[in-house]
Amino acid sequence: MNRIFKPESFLKGVWQENPIFFLMLGLCPLLAVSSSLRDAIGMGAAFIFVLTGSNMTVSFIRKLVPEHVRIPVFIIVIATFVTVTDYSLAAFSPQLHKSLGVYLPLMVVNCILLGRAEAFASKNNVINSAFDGLGMGIGFTLAISIIAIIRETLGQGTLMGINVLGKDYVPFLIMIMPPGAFLVIGFLMALKNNIGGKKKC
Amino acid sequence: MKRKDIVTGILVLLLIASISGFLLAQTFRVAKPRIEKQMKIEEEKLNREIFPEGNDFRADNFKGIKCTSVYDGQDAFIGRIFNLTAPGYGGNILVKAGIDSESRITGIRILEHKETPGLGSRITEASFLDQFRNRDSSTLFLKKDSPRGNIDAITGATISSRAVTDSVRKLQEQINDTDGETP
Amino acid sequence: MLNELNIGYIFLSAFIVNNIVMIKFLGLCSFVGISTNMKSSIGMGIAVVFVTVMACGISWAVYNYLLIPFHLEYLRTVTFILTIASFVQFEEIIIRKKAPALYKAFGIYLPLITTNCVILASAFLGIDYKFNFLQNIIFAIGVSSGYCLAIILFASMREKLDTAPLPESFRGIPIAFIMTGLVSLVFLGFKGLFKL
Repeated sequence: MNRIFKPESFLKGVWQENPIFFLMLGLCPLLAVSSSLRDAIGMGAAFIFVLTGSNMTVSFIRKLVPEHVRIPVFIIVIATFVTVTDYSLAAFSPQLHKSLGVYLPLMVVNCILLGRAEAFASKNNVINSAFDGLGMGIGFTLAISIIAIIRETLGQGTLMGINVLGKDYVPFLIMIMPPGAFLVIGFLMALKNNIGGKKKC
Repeated sequence: MKRKDIVTGILVLLLIASISGFLLAQTFRVAKPRIEKQMKIEEEKLNREIFPEGNDFRADNFKGIKCTSVYDGQDAFIGRIFNLTAPGYGGNILVKAGIDSESRITGIRILEHKETPGLGSRITEASFLDQFRNRDSSTLFLKKDSPRGNIDAITGATISSRAVTDSVRKLQEQINDTDGETP
Repeated sequence: MLNELNIGYIFLSAFIVNNIVMIKFLGLCSFVGISTNMKSSIGMGIAVVFVTVMACGISWAVYNYLLIPFHLEYLRTVTFILTIASFVQFEEIIIRKKAPALYKAFGIYLPLITTNCVILASAFLGIDYKFNFLQNIIFAIGVSSGYCLAIILFASMREKLDTAPLPESFRGIPIAFIMTGLVSLVFLGFKGLFKL
């Protein structure tokens, strides 16, 4: 606890404690906006920003906030960051804003955000919290991108809107529809269990 | 819980809430004009795609229907752009259609839809929408709906294709029905 | 245009056609966490219906009578989540005092509900669709019963799955997701029946 910066606070979020595959948190946006890689990366970037920002703020004010009001305070901090992101996206990238739709403001109730604020940022210094947010955010982005790559290539034969499987490919449409998302994450989890051994999460 | 704890709790909450409110108000103040500008640019771009000859686009009202009147470089009236709602397969489809003064379609775009991805969602593709260009808006039919049909439906998405086609034709019928007044 | 919508349509559309879990992917965290057990699923389901309907009514009123007249639309997210959080607390206290039996049945799920996205989502969507108050309430009932349906459906399936012979890697969550996918396929078949 003495060192100001511990690299593991950054690295653990990317794989060891990947919020999606190991902690099973924040699944809603993961499935909803993973039908195209472009949307997935947009969501990931927004998520990294909100998580890092809220983690830093929570950590910064952690000594000021009395124990019994900390949850509402964290919620306000998170909601503020989410709204700022919402408006900035609407102003600078209306296209992306439109395709993320209601899932962007719904980040407020994403369990990763409140979970990290409560479990990590409220107990650690600002720098570590920032890196924790960054790591978790990147872990989330990685997970969402993997799912989006699978769904977009199989479902549309494209990647970032560019055709990759050739003209003759008949799209496996179900992949970009809701059931595809559930199937992909189901198989990915099984794969993770298989290669990662039976780790208790 | 002691009274002092309650008071500090309320004070901290109030403080945080007002900081948050202030920050959001500032963000909104900065972002709002930009959002409106973006929407305007987007709208202008769309109008030009739909009506390539148009130069000036003005909000207007034609026989009780909201529309955009289009004027060319010499400020002469050349047509109108209408926003339509078509009942699609998964919900309403918002269509923007340009009709010139001889009731020919100059262009058509889909603004919003909830059609099935990969099937109905292909109504937004150029290969479907380009079929409408230069056709008389009162004679639009799907080929499978009428012997004088002129629009190919998208495979597996007849309902979506029909919704778009019919909505444009019905608009023209509605305009013709109201009265014979020339635009 | 939406004002002409039949409330029956709104309900069925929210309940089945656009089922919040199967089609809109919301409420998944609690869905995966709780649907292992039939009894807790029913408790959670009923609690969510109750809170969603009340919270949607309140946030609709807050949005239309407080935020819009004062041009404070940008506070939407903050106010809604706070409204829901404080309402859940308030409700917990009331139920504990007035109906201890009810509190015993689903009181323990109440604190979990604040971060259930179903509630916030249905509050947001009701505003986005520009519903009037009655439509908004019907919509909230539809959305939350849809969640209830999904979670109870799954609890009964997962209880059976526990005894099924499965490859080791698929046990637990992976197979639950794959089954959700298959059931979601069924729900997709309703698309086009009721439009919203």
